[in-house]
Amino acid sequence: MVPDFLTIAEAARLIEKRELSPVELIDSRLDRVARLDARLNSFILVLADAARAEARAAESEIAAGHYRGPLHGIPIGLKDIYETKGVATTGHSKVMRDHVPEADAVSVARLRTAGAIVLGKLATHEFAFGGPSFDLPWPPARNPWDTSRFTGGSSSGTGAAVAAGLVLGGTGSDTGGSIRGPAAYCGIAGIKPTYGLVSRRGILPLSFALDHAGPMAWTAEDCAILLQAMAGHDPADPASANRPIPDYRAALDGGAKGLRIGLVRHFYERDNEANAATRQAIAAAVETLAGLGCTVRELTLSPLSDWVACGVTIMLAEAYAIHEANLRRRFTDYGEAFRDRMVLAGLITGADYVQAVRRRRELIDELDRAMADLDLVVTATAPSEAPPIDAVPKFSTFERPLLTMPFNVTGSPAMAVCCGFTESGLPLSFQIVGKRFDDAGVLRLAHAYERATPWRTRRPQL
Amino acid sequence: MTRQELDTLLARLGLAVPERERDEIAAAAHLIADMLERLRPPGGRDVAAEPAHVVRFPEG
Repeated sequence: MVPDFLTIAEAARLIEKRELSPVELIDSRLDRVARLDARLNSFILVLADAARAEARAAESEIAAGHYRGPLHGIPIGLKDIYETKGVATTGHSKVMRDHVPEADAVSVARLRTAGAIVLGKLATHEFAFGGPSFDLPWPPARNPWDTSRFTGGSSSGTGAAVAAGLVLGGTGSDTGGSIRGPAAYCGIAGIKPTYGLVSRRGILPLSFALDHAGPMAWTAEDCAILLQAMAGHDPADPASANRPIPDYRAALDGGAKGLRIGLVRHFYERDNEANAATRQAIAAAVETLAGLGCTVRELTLSPLSDWVACGVTIMLAEAYAIHEANLRRRFTDYGEAFRDRMVLAGLITGADYVQAVRRRRELIDELDRAMADLDLVVTATAPSEAPPIDAVPKFSTFERPLLTMPFNVTGSPAMAVCCGFTESGLPLSFQIVGKRFDDAGVLRLAHAYERATPWRTRRPQL
Repeated sequence: MTRQELDTLLARLGLAVPERERDEIAAAAHLIADMLERLRPPGGRDVAAEPAHVVRFPEG
């Protein structure tokens, strides 16, 4: 009997020792999908036959002594903007409903090479920006902690499927917070890696300058395992960094003692005021970090709205350029949320865009200076627990500044980490942010925090 | 933004936005205007201030 919930690390240990068969594991997840996903809508497409065939192949390979590593035989899900060879990649949109790519995205190919088994394609907000929407070919994903609640977006299906134990990990993308938002609301871990660390090739773009691909999973350790497979230079991605990839999992055990942390409190106490539960949870998390031997001091940056104005302007202008032709030809084939936000993007001039990119350079320099004598920064991921799914305004992205966007602007590694629950049992989250290419440092602190707190033992009751 | 201004913009952009969505979009336009205002420092920016580039240089 396979447990309802397993981390990647736990399953990998069992598979390596041949105490768990990849076939059993895949069958157990497909059974959960069949039983539970009608309430969660986290999958757009379940690839049952292909996954079973790959599981049998993995079992044979492992039995023959060819164990590939901790992703061998592990079921994952892919946000449906990651292209998959011969399998529709829709962006959760009618506009690309029939798009069947000829190749896997580079990061998908790398995950497969590491032995991961793709269980299916997961819900997203339309083209990673639009939702939650009820007028698309597939319904929006729902939060496993309370299905009347929002998952966060745009990697909504990955957040829901990982939290519900339908997959052990998955992929997300993050242009303004689309990995960290659903990770926060669904109570899981998700890292937006440094810009340039994971190839964007074969991932439907939203904003070339701000799109980051990355992993989502139950723990920081699982994120490290997934990131290890996804990261690496891709000469065909013009933004891909060509530098050595460290051993992220090995770095986890460095502990937190001696780390110098800046707390950006004004982001969530003044600029986008968080509710009491969130503020209390972060205060407790900061105490935990201090107890682990970190030194924490307050850090003041430019107002959150400045960072968000910069990021959202770039994002909207680039998204509009990407979708311009289809918006003209088939406007109403897009969902209302996406298309109406794109109309607002039409207000942005060329000069606005250039001013935003100039502002970006200033803000990157500002964070670099501010972190000169710090190792990491922490702040809130979201101002509250997940709101009701039907209470998310169409223009919410523009109404309250996103706590996650500053680190898309700077390209810094940034991770959402569960830091408790509300009285009603909904997850809360804080962000850990590192210097560019210190993704290992972010994962290390997240891992130390998770081990020092009880939050990873609590799972949604479905 | 007035409805007339929005309609002019939509004609320029070539977008066929359903009538029922137009008032809501016009009412939200100030959110973008407020955001764009923040991109420009009050005293202006040095004329030579460079944007952040993402450029791949040939190696070796």
